[in-house]
Amino acid sequence: MQPVLKLENLSSFIGPFHIVQGVSLDVFPGEAVVILGRNGSGKTTTLRTIMGLLRVASGVIELAGETILGLPAHQVARRGVGYVPEDCIVFNFLTVKENLQIAMRKADKETYARQSYALDLFPDLKKAYSRYAATLSGGQRQMLAIARVLQNDNKIILIDEPSKGLAPIIVERVGEALIAMKNSCTLILVEQNFPLACAVGDRYYILNSGRSVHSGSVAELAQDVQLQNRFLSIGS
Amino acid sequence: MLASLQKRLHDTVRQGVFHPQFHFLAYALLGVLLLLPQLTGLVTVGLFTRIFVLAVFGMSYDLLRGYAGIINLGHALFFGGGTYIAGIVFANYGTSPSMLGLAVLGTTAYAMLAALLMGKIAFRGGNVVACAMITLALGEIVRQIAESWRAVTHGADGLTFPIPMMFRDRVALYYYALAFMVIMMLALRQFIMSPTGRVLLAIRENEQRAIFLGYNTASYKLVALQVAGVVCGWSGVMFALTSRFANTELLTVQQTLNALLVTIVGGTGTLYGAIVGTAFVQLAQHTLLGLRGVHPIFERWLLFFGAIYVFVVLFMPTGIVGLYQRFISHWLQPVKPR
Repeated sequence: MQPVLKLENLSSFIGPFHIVQGVSLDVFPGEAVVILGRNGSGKTTTLRTIMGLLRVASGVIELAGETILGLPAHQVARRGVGYVPEDCIVFNFLTVKENLQIAMRKADKETYARQSYALDLFPDLKKAYSRYAATLSGGQRQMLAIARVLQNDNKIILIDEPSKGLAPIIVERVGEALIAMKNSCTLILVEQNFPLACAVGDRYYILNSGRSVHSGSVAELAQDVQLQNRFLSIGS
Repeated sequence: MLASLQKRLHDTVRQGVFHPQFHFLAYALLGVLLLLPQLTGLVTVGLFTRIFVLAVFGMSYDLLRGYAGIINLGHALFFGGGTYIAGIVFANYGTSPSMLGLAVLGTTAYAMLAALLMGKIAFRGGNVVACAMITLALGEIVRQIAESWRAVTHGADGLTFPIPMMFRDRVALYYYALAFMVIMMLALRQFIMSPTGRVLLAIRENEQRAIFLGYNTASYKLVALQVAGVVCGWSGVMFALTSRFANTELLTVQQTLNALLVTIVGGTGTLYGAIVGTAFVQLAQHTLLGLRGVHPIFERWLLFFGAIYVFVVLFMPTGIVGLYQRFISHWLQPVKPR
């Protein structure tokens, strides 16, 4: 089966700093892949490199068999890569409805159906539909950022630390939505919250010092305390 | 409670003085302006004509700075270019109304081309400071060309020219300038409210987020620069009709800074702010100069202006319109979002 997204020995820089030094991964249709690793291991930088925001030194980035290496970020997005960055910026001067509208790549029946599905996933947004994004809570802003990406016909969605800064009860709700999303899209999730990553992910890749050093099934990782201690410094 | 207050504040800020409850104020002001030539002398009529024309210059700058988040330090090249094109056409080809059409068409073509070149160069890096420096350099290049091309522009001496008969009457010109300002304000408002305008606001708020949504932000900024450039060029043509004179001063960075200052004083990102700011600056300048007889210090009116600008930047960062909105926002009913 052809992977939706394929990274091969990817290497990229932030200014003069060589952050991603050899990341390889494959994401297959319908999968939820989690990228794990300690702080500074290059998880967010990998996502930003996929999005075309950073200078790539070498490697391969293929989306559904076609290279997207060197494309500007807006073209990567138009090719079908949805990105929810960790700061989950929404447009404060727009209402929830308008935030969804401005992010629509097409205004067709399918997009509205997907928007409706996204709103079903996040009932809080439905209630706040006419409110300005500036008045939303942190959790609602995160939900809006995800819903905005979900309504488009994306081949893959990259989500960076959706639990960051959220209260445990909100993390639970976002987690439930991400699990439900797995049925309808392909996901890459960067997450520090290990229980959430385990609940959402099918497979994992561990990054260490900018390199992908381990991969496998999330179910196996959840059982392997030694591996968790070795690469993630969690567990006892 | 907090959400309700925030919503009302956002309604007010977003709607600016386009809020329906401001309409009454706007109509009342328009009524006064329509009657003004009957109530005052030609000096005041001339002053207000200048305010209307420079307000359009300020609004075009506000579209860039206040709505698209672009700092253009070469904006005067559109304004001065419009004045020069009109002057050159009237001086060399006559003053029939069709020549005005030619001047407007020439200015439109010049402004679109200049904005295209400027945008293609300045928006390459996506850096605000680099954009400001590049536009400053481009503006200076155009000024240098005008300065050196003496056969056409008469260099630093300036170009004096006649204007079409229909604009020679000061009162008629006042009404043309008023109509020009109102039409430009409505057109720019429509542009801002359009889907393209919304994307520009999104770019101003967070350019990278807009890129992630698939928007080619450089193209949108280029559209904004072209619209602002053309409107600014037209205000230059109108300025030609009021001044009957063009010199390279109109192309200097000082002209751009004047536009920047009126938007700061009036209120950035409101459109109306540029009108209020221009009126404030022009009326203050006129009043201070009028006090020369009282004390010679008023001849140095720029000193007072410097103090006013420092005061506004420090204590009224949202300008006169912003301050007004803050004080009266609690009187307003929230507007239902569209």
